[in-house]
This record gives sequence, C-alpha cells and structure tokens, in this order.
Amino acid sequence: MRGKRISKAVAVGAALALALTACAPGGGDAPSESAKTSESSSGTNSVEPANSGLADLGDIKTQDAEIKVSVGAPEFIGYNSNTPQTYSTYNSAITDRVLSGFSYFGTDGAIYPNDDLVAYEKVSDDPLTIKYTIKPEAKWSDGTPITVADAVLSWATQNANLKNAKGKQLFDSVSADLGDTVPKGPEGDADGKEFTVTFKDPDPDWQIQSWMGLPAHVVAKQGGMSTTELVDAIRANDAKKVTKAAEFWNTGWTTKPGALPDADLIPSSGPYKLKSWSAGQSVTLEANENYYGTPAATKTLTFRFIDDGAMVQALQNKDLNVIAPQPTVDTLSQLEALGDAVNIQKGDTLTWEHLDFNFRDKAAFKDSLELRQAFAMCVPRQEIVDNLIKPLNPEAKVLNAREVFPFQENYAAVVDASYDGRYDNVDIEGAKKIVDEQNAKGTKVRIGYSAPNPRRTDEVAMIKSSCDQAGFEVVDAGDPKFFAPGGTQERGDYDVALFAWAGSGQITSGQNIYATGKPQNYGEFSNKEVDAAWTTLASSLDPAVHLEQTKKIEKLLWDDLFGIPLFAHPGLSASTSDILNVRHTATQSQIVWNAEQWVRAE
Amino acid sequence: MLKFILKRLGASLGILLAASFLLYILVINSGDPLADLRESIADNRDYLMAQRSDFMNLDQPWFERYWTWLVGVGGCFALKCDLGTNINGIEVNGMLAAAAGSTMRLVVLATVLAAIFGIAIGVLSAIRQYSGLDYGVTFLTFLFFSLPVFWAAVMLKEYMAIGYNDWIKDPSFTTVQIVVVALLFGFLMQVFLAGNLRRRLITFAVSAAFVGVVIPYLLWLNFFRYPQLGPAAIVVLSLAVALSATAMSVGVRTKKVLYPALITVALGLGVYYATFSMLKTPTTLVLVIGAILAVVIPGAIGYFMGGRLRKVAMSVSAVTGFAFAGLTVVDHIFRAWPGFLGLKPRPIGTIGSQTPNFGGDFWEVFLDRGAQLLLPTILLAVISLASYSRYTRSSMLEVGQQDYIRTARSKGLNERTVIFRHAFRNALIPIATIAAFDFAGLIGGAVITETVFGWKGMGEMFKVGLTAVDPAPVMAFFLVTGTAAVVFNMLADIFYALLDPRIRV
Repeated sequence: MRGKRISKAVAVGAALALALTACAPGGGDAPSESAKTSESSSGTNSVEPANSGLADLGDIKTQDAEIKVSVGAPEFIGYNSNTPQTYSTYNSAITDRVLSGFSYFGTDGAIYPNDDLVAYEKVSDDPLTIKYTIKPEAKWSDGTPITVADAVLSWATQNANLKNAKGKQLFDSVSADLGDTVPKGPEGDADGKEFTVTFKDPDPDWQIQSWMGLPAHVVAKQGGMSTTELVDAIRANDAKKVTKAAEFWNTGWTTKPGALPDADLIPSSGPYKLKSWSAGQSVTLEANENYYGTPAATKTLTFRFIDDGAMVQALQNKDLNVIAPQPTVDTLSQLEALGDAVNIQKGDTLTWEHLDFNFRDKAAFKDSLELRQAFAMCVPRQEIVDNLIKPLNPEAKVLNAREVFPFQENYAAVVDASYDGRYDNVDIEGAKKIVDEQNAKGTKVRIGYSAPNPRRTDEVAMIKSSCDQAGFEVVDAGDPKFFAPGGTQERGDYDVALFAWAGSGQITSGQNIYATGKPQNYGEFSNKEVDAAWTTLASSLDPAVHLEQTKKIEKLLWDDLFGIPLFAHPGLSASTSDILNVRHTATQSQIVWNAEQWVRAE
Repeated sequence: MLKFILKRLGASLGILLAASFLLYILVINSGDPLADLRESIADNRDYLMAQRSDFMNLDQPWFERYWTWLVGVGGCFALKCDLGTNINGIEVNGMLAAAAGSTMRLVVLATVLAAIFGIAIGVLSAIRQYSGLDYGVTFLTFLFFSLPVFWAAVMLKEYMAIGYNDWIKDPSFTTVQIVVVALLFGFLMQVFLAGNLRRRLITFAVSAAFVGVVIPYLLWLNFFRYPQLGPAAIVVLSLAVALSATAMSVGVRTKKVLYPALITVALGLGVYYATFSMLKTPTTLVLVIGAILAVVIPGAIGYFMGGRLRKVAMSVSAVTGFAFAGLTVVDHIFRAWPGFLGLKPRPIGTIGSQTPNFGGDFWEVFLDRGAQLLLPTILLAVISLASYSRYTRSSMLEVGQQDYIRTARSKGLNERTVIFRHAFRNALIPIATIAAFDFAGLIGGAVITETVFGWKGMGEMFKVGLTAVDPAPVMAFFLVTGTAAVVFNMLADIFYALLDPRIRV
C-alpha cells in the first residue's frame, strides 16, 4: 500500500504548508470599496456645450489619468494620414489629436474655426481671398513656431503641378486640386504668422480646405535644406529641389508596426502627442505639455485596436472606457443591459440610405415619371425606419431631403419648400391606379445593392411586400459585386440602386451626384434646371444663396424623382459612466472628435 | 536518409511554388480592392481610386503581379526577403515579424498544455477503459472540442474575467458555495483515485472536509488578495515531493536515493535566502540560469551519492530541486500579487496581450502578461485536448494488446513499469505525428481567438489582408504556414524513423 502512504504524506504536507503559509492574516485589510463616484447631476458633461462645437471648458488643468478608447480593429498606420495608403478614418482618429487643423466639424456637421490655432476672415469675395492669422503663441511640441511655412507645405502637398520626373504629382497626397484652385498658394513671409490665399474661382467649401498639416521644419530637414529654402523651392515650383523632402513626406513616416519614428520627427501641433505604439495592441497619446491652447483634460489617451464583438465586454471589464462599435441591435441591447455603469450615445450620422432610379438603357423607370411616382408611393419608408432604425435610434425619422439632415437647422426650411409630404404614407391604391393606367402591371423592378447586407435585404423584402401589391414585381438583385468593375451597377443591370452616401460636410459635393455627366451620377440622371442650380450654388459664397439653391434642387429632385431618400444611418458609441464630455457626433470624425475634453468625474 | 530528406525538400519546394501561384490568383480575384472607395462621396474619389490602383499595380496583368511578388520572395535565398507592402504602404516583413511573435506567444503555451494534459488524460482513460472516469472524460473532451470558439470566449470573459475581477475586489464565499465546491471536489477526487467503495467513501469524505476547512481559512487569511507561501511551506512541500518521488521510484527506505533528495531540499533553503533580493527583481536570464542550476546541481549530488542507483538518484534529486525552485518562484509571485492588484485592480483583461503603459517591476509585468494570456490559452488548450486524449487513448489500448506487453506482465513486472516503460513509450510514436501537424497548424494562428481577444497575430493578418483583397500579407501568411506544414510534416516522418526501429527509409 505504498500509494496510501504517499497520499497521506501529501495530505499532511499540504495541511502543514497551509498552516505555515501565514502566521497572521494577510498584510493589511483589503481596500474598502470606495464610495461610488457620485455623478454630477448635470449629466454626462462637465460643462454643457453652447452649440454643436467644442464646449468651453475654461481654465482647466490636465488630470493625471488614463482613458482607453477603441474605434475599431484596424491597426495604426502612421503619423501622416494624408497619403492614399494611410488615409483612413481609423488612422485619422489618432492623428487628428496630434495634428491640429484650422477648422473642425461640430456634432451636426457645422464648421467651426480652431480658435486655439488661428483666426481667419474673408477679405474679398471676388476673387475669393482669405486672410489667416496664426496665433503668436502657436508652436509645435518641439518648440518650433507654427508659421506660414507649414501652410505652404500643406499647399504644396495638394499641388498637382509639382511633378516628379515621371510626370506624377510629387507629393503622394489624397488631394490634388489646391495647385489649380489657389495657384499662388499661401502668400506671406515664410517665418511669419500671417498669410492670405486667393482662390481662382469662388469655392463655397473654402473653410474646410486644409492649410495646416505636417511640420514643414521636419520635412525640410529631412530634405536636406532649411525651412526657408523649402518654401522658396515650392514657390518657385522647383520640383527637383523638393524631391527629397517629398519622398520623406510620402513614406518617411511609415514605419514597421510598433516602431514610432524618432520623437523629433513627429512633433505635435495638437493637444496630444504620440508617446508609444505597441504593435497590434495600442497607441498611447500623452498630453502635449507645450500646447498653446486649452490643454487636454486627461493626460493619457490610449487607443486600442479591438474588434466590435469584443468591445462591450471590454467596456464592462473597464479594459476600455469609450467604444464606438458598429451599431447593431444586439450590441445596443448588450450595452443597455449594463445599466448605469455606461452612458450610451445614440444619434444620426451623416451617412444616409437612399433608393436611386436608373435612367440608363432599358431600365424600367427610365422614361416614366408616373411609374417613378407610383414606386415612391408604395415604398414603405415609415415602416422601414420603424422596424430597422428605431430600435437603434428611437428618435430616427424618415429622411425627406438629400442635402440636409434632420439634425441640422436648415432641414425644416428646406423640406417645407421642396416636399409636400405626398410620399409620407404608403398609398397602394394610388400606385396601383398609376401602374394600371401606364399599362405596366408586372413591371420587374430589380433593386440592386452590395450584398451581403442583412439590413438592405430586409429593406428590399419590405418594399417587395408593399410594391408587389401595387402591380410591380420587385426582385432582390443584391450582389457582392454590385459596385465592382463590370458589376451590376456599371453594366446598368438594375432599376433601382439601394445604397448610402457617406456625407463629408462639403457644400458642393452633391454636384457630383445630381448634375449631368458627373462621375457619381451613376444612374445618369439629367435635368437642366438642376445643373443650373448647382452651378449657381457652387459659384456663390453667400449662405443665403446656398440655402435658396438647395431648396430649388431638392424640389426639382422630388418633382422629377431622382430617387427616394430613406433614412440617416444610426451611430452608436458608449462610455463608462465615470467619463465626462463624451458626445455623439454625426460626422466622420467619430466619437473621438472631442477626445481632448474627456475627463474622469472627480 | 540524406537522399530521402533532399528528395522531400525538392518536392516540397515544388508544392509550395504551385500552391503560391494558385493562392495568389485566388486572392487577387477574391474581391474588389477598391470596394471601400466606391461608395465614397468625397470629390477626390476617382483620384484616390487611381492612386490605389497605381500603388497596388492593379492595372498590371495577373502574371506580372505574381512575378513581381515571386521575385521579391526569391530574394529570400539571398537573405534579402522582400515580401512587398500592404495596402497601407507598410512593409510586410515588419508586419510578419510582429504577427508571428504575437501568435507564438499565444499558441505555444496552449499547444504544450494541451499536449501534456491531453496525453495524461488519454493514458488515464485507457487504463480505466469503460469506467465512469473514461466516459466522463470522453464526454467532456468532445464537449470542449465542439464548443464554438466565439461563444466560449464570451463565456470565459463573462465569468473568468469580469466575474473574477468583481469577486477579487472583496473575495468571499457563501456557505452554500463552500459546501458545493467541497462536495464537487470530493466527488472528483474519488473518481480520480478510484478503489473499492470503502476507499472511495474515505477519499470523498477526507477531500470534501479538507476543502470545507481550507476555503474559510484562506478567506480568513485574505489569501486571495495577499497570498503567502514562505520558506517553511516551501520546505514542507519540497520534502513531500522528495519523499513521493523516492517512494514512487525505489521506496523511501533506499537511502542512496532519499539522502541526495533531502540534501537538495536543505541546499534549496540556503539558496532561497541567498537569492531572495536578487529574485525580487530578476531578469529572464537569471530565471533561466536559475532553472538550469536547479536541475544540474541536484543532479550532480545524486550522481555522486547515488552509487549503483545513480540514475534514479539523479532524477529524483533533479525533480526535487526543480520543484523547490518552482515553489520559490511561486513565492515571489505571491509576494508581488498585492502590488500587482494595486496597479491593476481588475487583474484579468478581456482584450490584448498586455496592459498598455503598464509600469510595474519584473513580477508585476509577468503577472500582467500572464493574466492577459490566461483566457485565450485556456480556450485554445481546452479545445485541442480532445484530439490528443482520444489518439493517446486508442494508441494506448492498441499497444496494450501487443504480445510484448503480455510478456512484460507475465515476467512479473509491476503494472506501473508495464504501462510507463513498455506501453506508453510505444504509444507515443503516432502522437508525435499529430503533435507535429498540430503545431504547424497553430502557427497559422487562431483567427477567431485572436479576433475576440484582440491579439493581432497571423490569423488576423490573413483575415485583414483577404478582406482588403491585399495579396502581400496573405501570401506572407501562406509562406510561413505553408513552409511550416511542409517542414513539420517532414520532421514527423524523420522522427518516426528515429523512434520506431521497424521503419526504415
């Protein structure tokens, strides 16, 4: 019975060891659970914002704490978000905290100047001339003042007239038009703080042109010259001299995952600076102690790269403080189950879903306004919003415009002037009557969209069950290659396209969609009056004219039925309830748009 | 043998080349690399699309793109690999290094644990064929095997991370919980230790009572927040190891074996105090050297004192020495635990391989990494338990039918020698093949596990690359996993030949 002896020995040993582990209970008491931080009764903000822009936090000190946020799984790419390779909202979510611009979008898409950095005013309408004055105290985190040279570099990177030996744009940038629209670039002393820009043609979107990006002194140094030399070479259109600097701008900031470039290559002009990057895990930002404006409210801001599916539990476990998952009903119900521990931010975004008629070739609705009207009558817009969108955003409404959103102040005025509510309620009988009159019973309506997309499949099913009663024969033509080259959309093998545009906050971007012959006018819609209204709008700088023309365009698009707007996509984010100032935004800047204001409740 | 290896290598290269060609063509045709831009409303959309086409060479015919890639990879033979850049302009070489490192950390421990426990369970269930234990273990391993990973991960996070973290704030058990745990523990102990009814009852009662007493005692000590071991407990536990090892090998009366083991314990106590401050903030190197010395020095003691039982004495002393060293490390980890809880009040994270900006000393960092590794390791190990245990079980049963086992039994060898020396060793031969394949497969990463736990490893690189129709990272993934599969396959064949004298190549 040797086995028995062993087990006895083990048992005795275990008991003895246990008794000996401690002569006294463990060192000190467990920290008593601190009383729950009582949340200020004012809700989720430390200071209530006056408008859709940043709230004025007043004179604040940076709190020595850490806030962890995830906007999605994609890994950080690099400091320069302005090349086509690195241009992504996930990367900008990080770099926008580090590199300040002259303006920013408020939560409703309104444009606000960045008062910390600059003051600007329009000095002339014709030609459009803007005067910018950079704040005297504004400087990069390495101490170099922010000057006109930085603006000149920003202009140069968007100047397609600076070409390399192969005839391609020297700076590999996402934007290529400033060289033509502002031929002279920023005019002013390179070391100075004041400059003017003169547009060749009126540009209603002048406020969001980017005049401030990456540090000119770093680019110049890497290009083997002084900042003044760089500015002179750019202004002289001396591509050869700028080549080395441009090459650094194109690829010099792209490093292997986890290795940030040297600290002197990545200075910050924003409230945060890049501190560390752990490959595949996180990027840590630290408050920029040399920041010239309102300092960041919290010292450390950590971005983590987490899949949507893992976000809610990470929030619950406090591995993350702020999350921005894809809005799904499941995610929302999981968040709601966490109760008071989290704040949920819901609302519309600037991405909106719509049905666009096809006016090409043999499409069913090409020549018949009546049939388009009949189709609009039977599309159950309210039902789609009630069933698919309201669960995510209880305040969601049917969208009745294309250029303005329900959360924007012009919406009511535009809709009142352009749309009389005739397609608010489903009118099967009316639609049926028209279909019969047109002798179009049994018309096949192929609704094309980029599959798989369960929500759009549901939308098509709802449209089918309603419109088939009116005599149409709706076909679900969802296809993974809908938008691909040679796909359904390009071939024109559809009658109605169901998709969404992601709005960018520009005033004139709709011209590309609704004017004749424009690249995003997929259905080849053409209406002379619409074209004229867009031309008027795009060449004016007067907001009153913009509003007037927008009303006109919307009315024409409703009357001639370009398509049927459905709803604005819902947005969703959540934060642990101890974090203040997390505010929903409709824009693509995402939930981190005001991250420098986030702060732990004390 | 050399000819065989060379032939295999040649064939493998051919296979890899053909497969890379096939995969490249499949990847670039798997979707639309410009899909994300097509619905953009930005006015520079066409320009962006042109830029990306140019950057990714989308305008070139497929054979030119493949050739460009192949030439870059061909550079590997001149030690100048160029795996290209991904869609974001990042060099794949760097990405691959980061991803492979991450995957290795994630899967190596899980594979080793799965192999050890799987084989142990397999042996146990083979010895007790058709017992309750056998059925129970079979049921459980198959249950684990068929768990959907994403679901199991969510459950693990819910209870072992969030639940545990809530609990550790103020550890407590209700009486009902203690009773249930005690009864369960007692039940499991009697299942494992088996025996006749009376013995089972005694085992059950003793173990249940033990747990019933220990839990309140540990709570009283506040052990879960301030765990302590101390030199006295280490000595007692090591003595238990020394005695058990001696008893299991030659019996406690054999002084030539027992004494070196006891001397090892005494020596260990001296080393414990001598290294105390060094081990408070050690380095990895110190730990590795320490582990080696903890085996070598007791081994030497056994060698010189063991006489004719030298071999046994060496292993018993080495085991004792290693156990003592291990317990010393545990002691230091216990000492670091309260400080760690101060730095990280919710110790077990649900995401990531480490806490960002975690600034602790060596043991605190060790605990942080360990806590982050815990859940994915459990998940991966538990799921691959089944294959190891089932193969081992059937292999053991088959070997048990062999004539040489009957011969061994009939010549009077005791059951333990028969099982471990004669049956188990031979049963391991087919397991070597499985282990080689398993490891090759695991290098490919665990796509779902990586995604749900927020690790960016090989699987993630493959997934992201394929989604973006970005061939470079996908091909890099293929190069590593394909090569690993071919190489490990070959290694398994060679091992086979070495392990099993009946096989000649």
